[in-house]
Amino acid sequence: MKRTLGSLVLIAVLLSVVVLSEIRLGKIPRQDPLGRKLLYLPSPEMLKIVSLGNPGLVADVLYLWSIQYYSLYQPHERFLYLETVYNLITDLDPLYVDAYRIGALIMQIQTGGDAEELKAAVRRLFDKGLRNLPDNWQLAEAAAWDFFIRFKDQETALHYAEIAAQRPGAPPRIKRMVGVWRDKENAWTLDDSIEYWRRAVEDAKNDWDRTMCRNQFYDAVTARDRKTLEPLLAMFSTRLGFCPKDWEDLIRAGALRQVPLDAFGDPYGIGRENCNLVAYKKFKDQ
Amino acid sequence: MRAMRAIAANTFREAIRDRILYLFVGFAVVMVVSSKLFGMLTVGDETKIIKDIGLAAMQFFSMLIAVMMSMILISREVDNRTVFNILAKPVRRWQFILGKYLGLVTIVGANLLLITVVLMLTVLVVTGELDLMLCFAGAMTMLEMMVLAAFATLFAVLTRPILGSLMTLAVFVVGHLSADLWLLTRQIPGALTRAVIAIVYYLLPNLERFNFRTEVVHDLSISGAAVGWAVVYAIAFIIVVLFLANLRFRGKDLK
Repeated sequence: MKRTLGSLVLIAVLLSVVVLSEIRLGKIPRQDPLGRKLLYLPSPEMLKIVSLGNPGLVADVLYLWSIQYYSLYQPHERFLYLETVYNLITDLDPLYVDAYRIGALIMQIQTGGDAEELKAAVRRLFDKGLRNLPDNWQLAEAAAWDFFIRFKDQETALHYAEIAAQRPGAPPRIKRMVGVWRDKENAWTLDDSIEYWRRAVEDAKNDWDRTMCRNQFYDAVTARDRKTLEPLLAMFSTRLGFCPKDWEDLIRAGALRQVPLDAFGDPYGIGRENCNLVAYKKFKDQ
Repeated sequence: MRAMRAIAANTFREAIRDRILYLFVGFAVVMVVSSKLFGMLTVGDETKIIKDIGLAAMQFFSMLIAVMMSMILISREVDNRTVFNILAKPVRRWQFILGKYLGLVTIVGANLLLITVVLMLTVLVVTGELDLMLCFAGAMTMLEMMVLAAFATLFAVLTRPILGSLMTLAVFVVGHLSADLWLLTRQIPGALTRAVIAIVYYLLPNLERFNFRTEVVHDLSISGAAVGWAVVYAIAFIIVVLFLANLRFRGKDLK
């Protein structure tokens, strides 16, 4: 009995030494200036072989490890091989959507390195994901927003938004997003914009979507009409020295044949203060 | 048929008395349940991680059971001399082999069923959805284990217990690498070398043919032909291997 008690005490003491030394070791900072832990990552082919039919599991393990590893803030050297790590994970499991999204996100918050190269690396990872997941619109949308918000690169954002809109199952808001971004970027002519929004109104699946598209359609038509009508107003006011009070003045002067109507068939107004075209957007006929 | 059933039932009873079996099953269940913890560490879809870990545990622990059982499958009967009592009765040697094989398959099947149920419940708790495709993954793993169990039976007849286990383990490893062997045939120049590698490839089981884990985890469509041919492939392999085991056991001097 006495001996057993002694053994138990000894085990308890030794266990406390184990725990204490582990705590002490955990508090000692260890440097990894060149990301040496990452230097020994094996190739995806090798990992696939040793996984014995479970490459998805190995990808999970690497992904979990990468989140823990990169989520602790460290100098930028920590982000070395970032692209290599996420390429490895996505080579092991090419359908791993989260790995593309989170990998790109971690790359975006990277503090060091060449910004252009970083952007190119994010783009490569997204492109790889979109190649491997041809039916996934969510990844393309994530790429669009990442480039729009993080990199302020509207052109690339628009490219990804267009990909997202073309993919099966993409919600109507993606299509609207493409149109709005194209309008903002002046990436097309006003006639193209009008045609796009006209079709979007026709294809709308619900009232909310239809209303949103009609709104954009109205703006596009107004923008086109503004381009032709405002120079007329300017010419009239320059010649006569005052702004016409209504469109009838222009018709009488022979500059117009009839009162110009907006996209919904209502007449435009004339802003007397700036002598410009005024549109009264009304959504009475849903 | 009755004799075979009795031998299978006895093999099953003997195995469930073995504590190491419970250890493996316990480990597998703990691994599946704890996959929820791993899922919590991730950013994004934790269900994928739970399914990956669960399906890998299903395969790994079933393989361990098959390997372990190959150690005791025949040798215990020979060492305890109980094989003489059995064969003294109207039991043919092939019935003995087949009974042993069916017993082993039943043990592995029971283990697989338990892990599949635990995995399905874990996924149900996390997602609120009953994923029946996990049953399919379990069934395909069972098919893989049936092929492996046939090899375990063959090696149990052919050689000593430890060596038999190692050889069963080797078949499992090589079975998952044989697809790479096939790829090698395209890389190597020389028709003869390529032919030799092709022969080796066809003689070894390609256990990757039963691996539909990626499809199940990512909800991909599965070709009915791939499943159907995998079943045909497994049955053919099992018959060939058990036939070889029977051939060896028929001529074996048990003294």
